[in-house]
Amino acid sequence: MSQILPSPLLSVRDLCVGFDTDAGFLVAVDGVSFDIPRGGTIGIVGESGCGKSVTAFSIMGLLPRPAGRIVSGSIVFDGEELASASEARMRGIRGRRIGMIYQEPMSALNPVRSIGSQMMEALLLHEPLSKKAAFDRCAELLDRVGIPSARARLAAYPHQLSGGMRQRVMIAMALSCGPDLLIADEPTTALDVTIQAQILELLHKLREDAGMALALITHDLGVIAQNCAEVLVMYAGRVVERAPVNEVFESPAHLYTKGLLESIPRLDTGRKSVLPTIPGMVPGLKDLPEGARFAPRSPHPKAAAYIASEAYRSVRPPLVELSPGHWVEDCEVVRV
Amino acid sequence: MRDYFIRRFLLIPPTLLGITILVFFIARAMPGGPLEQALMQAQMAQQMGGEMRMGQRTGQGSNITPRQREQLAALYGYDKPWYLAYAQWLGDVVRGDLGKSFRYQKPVWEMIGNCMPVSIYYGLVTLVLTYGVCIPLGIVKAIKHRTWMDSTSSVLVFAGYAVPGYVLGALLLLYFSFDLGWLPRRGFIGEEYEGIGLWQAIGDPAISAPGLLWSLVKHSILPLCCYMVGSFAVLTMLMKNSLMDNLAADYMRTAVGKGMDFRKAVVRHALRNSLIPIATGFGNNISLFLTGSFLIEKIFNINGFGLLGFNSVVDYDYPVVMGVLLLSSVLLLLGNILSDMLVALVDPRIRFT
Repeated sequence: MSQILPSPLLSVRDLCVGFDTDAGFLVAVDGVSFDIPRGGTIGIVGESGCGKSVTAFSIMGLLPRPAGRIVSGSIVFDGEELASASEARMRGIRGRRIGMIYQEPMSALNPVRSIGSQMMEALLLHEPLSKKAAFDRCAELLDRVGIPSARARLAAYPHQLSGGMRQRVMIAMALSCGPDLLIADEPTTALDVTIQAQILELLHKLREDAGMALALITHDLGVIAQNCAEVLVMYAGRVVERAPVNEVFESPAHLYTKGLLESIPRLDTGRKSVLPTIPGMVPGLKDLPEGARFAPRSPHPKAAAYIASEAYRSVRPPLVELSPGHWVEDCEVVRV
Repeated sequence: MRDYFIRRFLLIPPTLLGITILVFFIARAMPGGPLEQALMQAQMAQQMGGEMRMGQRTGQGSNITPRQREQLAALYGYDKPWYLAYAQWLGDVVRGDLGKSFRYQKPVWEMIGNCMPVSIYYGLVTLVLTYGVCIPLGIVKAIKHRTWMDSTSSVLVFAGYAVPGYVLGALLLLYFSFDLGWLPRRGFIGEEYEGIGLWQAIGDPAISAPGLLWSLVKHSILPLCCYMVGSFAVLTMLMKNSLMDNLAADYMRTAVGKGMDFRKAVVRHALRNSLIPIATGFGNNISLFLTGSFLIEKIFNINGFGLLGFNSVVDYDYPVVMGVLLLSSVLLLLGNILSDMLVALVDPRIRFT
């Protein structure tokens, strides 16, 4: 496949990331692989704690130190290995070539400095601009993300803006140096539903205008449907299914993906129908088995026997390709 | 915002009025006041005199005459009700007169003025040293959290915190001044320099400036240690914890995510945020440091403001008590306003209306 297609913008291979905690070393991301083509879009979906944000922070080299570290695997961005890159090299990539927006626009901005000074800082770090030119660029950027009277807003402090406005500022800041890849870590989770749609639309539009790649991290499959070409479903630190977006919605192959889809409220079901939920809980990161980690929550008749087997403890199921580009964890008890 | 601070300043006089009325009343209501002290002394003097002039008793006993008593009462202002006496005191204060000390018959202003250079010197030096050491130390401890440097300094800081300043003072005196004899035992400055005014000292060629300075430094080392030891732990740990909170803040991750060097992000982002709690407490130091600690002043026999206040209370020297109270209240109130100003300065979210 790699011989036919041009090399991807980002290629993550067998990424393992863990944290030193009081309970010992915990593996949060366990052998995750995916590619993002130039200008492409990928959605990473999963419940809280499945490792999707940790994956994003690993790409940015923003793991909390010294507790978090990449154990193994590689992250190749535009031909350059990031997993072992020096801090100085990463500084040249962060903000300039990879932009990131975060879940909490409330706390992601420094409360004691004006929007303008924080935005200009991002620009001035990477581009040889005068302060005046940087200021003009920031006003332009704020205008682009749909903030009215942008020039005047640059003097505002974060607390003077609403959550949606702050997230727009974050987006403007992330885009200021024209990155090749934008990582959006649950960009709409902390926002009102009406604002969520606006922000997603804005991201969609900006992405198409700038032709950059987008990695959208979310727990909401609905968000991904409109914005991503490919979906990565993560569970307990692993990728359990990877497929083009329409295939995920039409024929999910993993029980977990199916469960996620079914738990989205729909307009076409009866009013009195109960919204299905996935039974059981997300397992903790401590003492995870090597086998299919979703098995304890699977309704499959053989699930109990599988959990009791040696295979559950020690054999990792590989991903198999069902149709071109559609991969799923190869274990019958968690398959649809 | 400006209006808010103008209002705060306008609130100072009524607050002072409240404080002084209360203290004035309590002082008057307390038994064993200056009048009774004076009467007792007079009585004792007469008794002793009477014993010396054996057999010449007038038969009136040892009591002083009602006339003398009235004169004494008038001298101490006890001849009128307390509120009239207060009104008189207040009238004098408004005209800039704090009255005369009962005990020393010296103007209160002069007594306060005499100990001011000492108190201001100790206050300022302590302030500069404490902030100058604690803030950088707190920053380093936060960045080097859980390294040997952090742990070692924590042990020292907390050991210092556990020892009260006056206990440390006594120990230091015992060791460095009495056993080793390295440092002077008492006073603000060497005896040879005593009674020389600052301007006089600068102008007079006969006085060697380095000698004067050295004498001052030698005399201040131990008291300064005692002054610093208490606030040291609080300020250092406040700075450390405050900065640690901010180092873990989301906006720090944003800053590093922009491509900023971590150290630069600490200086540009975390530091100002972590100064907010420090600024809140800063104004209080103005009154705390100027009024000093009478225990430390007593141990080292430094005639500062704290000792003056303490002695005046013990001596029932009410004009001095009221003068010291008035001055420290003004400083405290100004300090509070200063704190508010500083907080508003570092934190744009704070807007007083």
